[in-house]
Amino acid sequence: METRRQFIVKGGRLVAAAAVTVAGPTIVVRDARAAGQLKILQWSHFVPAYDKWFDPWAKEWGAKRGIDVTVDHVSFADVVPRATAEVAAQSGHDIHMFLGLASAFEEHVIDLGDVVRTLEKKHGPQVELARRSTYNPFTKKQFALSDMWVPDPGNYHKKVWADIGMPNGPSTWEDLVKAAPEIKKKAPQVQIPIGIGLSQDIDSNMAVRNILWCHGGSIQDKDGNVVLNSPETLRALEYAKRLYAVGMTPAVLSWNAASNNQAFNAQETAYILNSISAYRTAQDNKLPIAELTGFVPALKGPTGIQMASEHVMSGYVVWKFSKNQDAAKEFLVALVDASREAMLASKLYNFPSFYGAVADPGTPVARKVESGAAWIAKQCKNDPFGSVPADKLALLADALKWSTNLGYPGYGNPAEGEIFDTYVLTDMFAKAATGAMSPKDALAEANTRARQIFDKWRKKGFVGGGSKDR
Amino acid sequence: MRRPPRIAAAVGHRLLILAYTAFAVFPFYWMAITAFKQNSDLYVGATNVEHNPFVFNQAPTLDHLRTLFGQTLYPTWLFNTLLIGVLVVAITLLLAVPAGYSLARLTGRWGERLSIGVFLTYLVPSTLLFIPFSRLVAIIGLQNSIWSLVLIYPTFTVPFCTWLLMGFFKSLPREVEESAMVDGCSRAGAIWRMVLPLSIPGILTVVIFALTLVIQEFVYSLTFISSVQRMTVSVGVPVALVRGDVYYWGSLMAACLITSVPIAIVYNFFLDRFIAGFTVGAVK
Amino acid sequence: MADTTAVPVAVAAPARGQLRRSERVLGTLMLAPALVYIVLLVALPFLLAVVLSLTNSSAGSLEFSFVGLDNFRSVIGSPVFRRALRNTFVFTFVSQASVIVLGNFLARALMRKFRGKAVARFLILMPWAAPISLATLGWLWIFDSTFSVINWLLKVVGWLGPGQWYYWLGDPTLGMVAIITVHVWRMLPFSTVILLAGLTSIPAEVHEAADIDGAGPVAKTLHVTIPMMLPILTVALLFGVVFTFTDMSVVYLLTRGGPFNSTHVLASLAFQDGVLGGDVGRGAAIAIFLLPVLLVMAVLTLRVSRRAEVL
Repeated sequence: METRRQFIVKGGRLVAAAAVTVAGPTIVVRDARAAGQLKILQWSHFVPAYDKWFDPWAKEWGAKRGIDVTVDHVSFADVVPRATAEVAAQSGHDIHMFLGLASAFEEHVIDLGDVVRTLEKKHGPQVELARRSTYNPFTKKQFALSDMWVPDPGNYHKKVWADIGMPNGPSTWEDLVKAAPEIKKKAPQVQIPIGIGLSQDIDSNMAVRNILWCHGGSIQDKDGNVVLNSPETLRALEYAKRLYAVGMTPAVLSWNAASNNQAFNAQETAYILNSISAYRTAQDNKLPIAELTGFVPALKGPTGIQMASEHVMSGYVVWKFSKNQDAAKEFLVALVDASREAMLASKLYNFPSFYGAVADPGTPVARKVESGAAWIAKQCKNDPFGSVPADKLALLADALKWSTNLGYPGYGNPAEGEIFDTYVLTDMFAKAATGAMSPKDALAEANTRARQIFDKWRKKGFVGGGSKDR
Repeated sequence: MRRPPRIAAAVGHRLLILAYTAFAVFPFYWMAITAFKQNSDLYVGATNVEHNPFVFNQAPTLDHLRTLFGQTLYPTWLFNTLLIGVLVVAITLLLAVPAGYSLARLTGRWGERLSIGVFLTYLVPSTLLFIPFSRLVAIIGLQNSIWSLVLIYPTFTVPFCTWLLMGFFKSLPREVEESAMVDGCSRAGAIWRMVLPLSIPGILTVVIFALTLVIQEFVYSLTFISSVQRMTVSVGVPVALVRGDVYYWGSLMAACLITSVPIAIVYNFFLDRFIAGFTVGAVK
Repeated sequence: MADTTAVPVAVAAPARGQLRRSERVLGTLMLAPALVYIVLLVALPFLLAVVLSLTNSSAGSLEFSFVGLDNFRSVIGSPVFRRALRNTFVFTFVSQASVIVLGNFLARALMRKFRGKAVARFLILMPWAAPISLATLGWLWIFDSTFSVINWLLKVVGWLGPGQWYYWLGDPTLGMVAIITVHVWRMLPFSTVILLAGLTSIPAEVHEAADIDGAGPVAKTLHVTIPMMLPILTVALLFGVVFTFTDMSVVYLLTRGGPFNSTHVLASLAFQDGVLGGDVGRGAAIAIFLLPVLLVMAVLTLRVSRRAEVL
């Protein structure tokens, strides 16, 4: 019914538009309730239970204030094309949720500095990786608000790793290279010993950054100079090449975000870099792998750096073209306030960006972050969603220590965003790992492209640095 | 003397048909079996030679169909797709039939050049038009409305269909209208009474052609429609059933199969007329 | 049609000149709606897109500054672009050649009468009826590196030894093979139908005459069938080439251009850089490279078809 009614309304509008064109100016009736509306675009959460909580919660929030809230969901891969279309159209939703970086859209969104200040006054500071993904120090603009981030631990096959004498799984990147041939020997049915994607997709994009950082390399330095062209990057590429040779197959070059989950759950690989969503799926489907899944924190590189990118994180923006900006800001505050519910609704997939927002009620602001961290640790150490043993996810309690943002050691600026979205780094790693190019040539190619992208954004005035580009 | 080669030819013929049919149908067979398999039967690596994926190793299940019809708006998406298809076909006919006739009969030499121009617009890649269209759709106030697709889709049906219909009208003998006009009909009357009834095969060609293109399209639909209940099948199904790192393969495959079969039946039904229409339309 | 009825009815027996004028008016009126639509919704947006290719517009915003030919320069310098350009030609040429050749065989086979023809015809048509975004998901599942049924089959029949495996979407060459296979699969029914139409249009007498002249099967194909089919072949080819050259759906849905951007075609790369990457100017610049080739191909085909007295 809803559909048809809408349809007639829009049809009427089409006719009206035609009439305007034909008959010249005429009275256009504006939707009188426009002020009381809020349209939100969200991804389809990887843990579907979250959507079942979010949609009614948002509606109810609106109902209390006389605001008609609409939530639309798109696949995570369609978040950016939809944003592009809406900016081009200068209309659409009021709030748009990005996964990862929203920075490429900075010039089209409003400053959310006041929202962050309100929230920090209420809950204490947000986590650093969230700040660095939503704030541009060069323009001093808070272009997005993050309510959650997701840790990216390693999932390992407990039995296979026990069989090769490493029952606790890997702890360094070098462990993977050492373990791979053993896995092939002891567990030949495992098709891809190490299942780290090197393809054009979001999980791979995170994974190659982890390898790069732990070997001491990075795309930019903390001030936004392009420093990709470094011996450290070369070392990371050499490492990827070694790992690929002993532990991976071309399958990882074709993987999409679902592939590593599927391969792991089918016991075709013994290690993946993923959030807990593969595990939750295995639990839901009662797959035998659920019990055999173990988790390890980010791996250590030869430099001693132990760092993983957030797996995904939210970046809510409010469009400049939105006519309901105040309601949108209020909504974002309320969303962060509800972080506890959100974390539980997502089955511990979401971690709050404001730890203080999950603190026990009545905690003074100064101690909220601490109290929130304790609550998170309690959930992880005693998983309310049926883990066996119950403390399987305990390591996530400390996930913040080894997690960082895209753009590390700098900020997640729009150039980093574009490099991410056009797969410049995964491209480089895949070419070097497979031998399609020498690590040196692959690096040179990626570096050229990275500098082009940075230069373009510098010219537009959104990215600093440049004096120390390599 | 002549029998053995004939038998060989007949066998070859059968094999050829068989091979093609297998190629065409295999994905559908695969969708069908996937749609009814239990997940634990589905997610078994292909290295396991013991596990034959072509048959049910565990009892078939209706779970995936239940998910598709119970937890998604699949029937609504089907309805939307069909509605858009019908409307786009109608618009295409309203624009292309008169234009095709005009180019064939009423415009002379400049019409011929213009017809090439019309055809050339068909060459503009949709990737280029994407951004301008977003703006246009918003200006008219059609964002997130099925009407935006109804407005945009004819951009890829009208040029080619006009061109096809022009050829079709050219193939009709001029006497058709002339005799009617001698009998006192106006040109418009002659077109209505004589030409259009003779053009049914050509029009049918255009209908099927346009309908196919509409059902295939997904990029505009992906970006202009954001409410789940207004999506088309091409977009709604993946949005609801691909959840980032979880693909609901069983339900996805069921959706694809259920959408394709009725359309194929309709096509098959009109195929002979379509062939007739295309022969004349394209060649003359 | 409203337009036609709106035209004043011509006088019963008008002078020649008058008739011409009223017909010209009618012709213009009948053409106008389509023409206006095309100018407004194709020509103008197209010009805007060309303008955008000269700018640094981000995310389709209309606040931009002109950067001249910078986008084109950077695009031409990019190895990914050059690879995509090459792939576009390979993709178009191989898939269209296969479609035409296979379609010919298939159309001839379908011309004959045989038991189960109706069923065979129905099944062969099915790929054409499937929405491509869903059908490609089916193929994705078939080519999946972990669950590929093709590999299972090859393994069982012993083609793939222990440790051997095909990574359909993880290898640049196999990736292109997969892309072309899916595209041929979806285009074959359509071109078969068109070619079937062409074959049907050759009168039986022509074949008989050739038989009487003692022409063998090869000579008959060369001197009778192909020339008589040429016009319709041209249409099938023209449509197929344009459709394939500008198509991004199979690539985008199957490999997303991977592995390492090696299976992109221009249309999918334009989408990745322009829409996903937010660099609209660059995306437009990439897409514009499609145009000259399309133009040349269209003019050539239209020429050929005119020589064969089409159009």
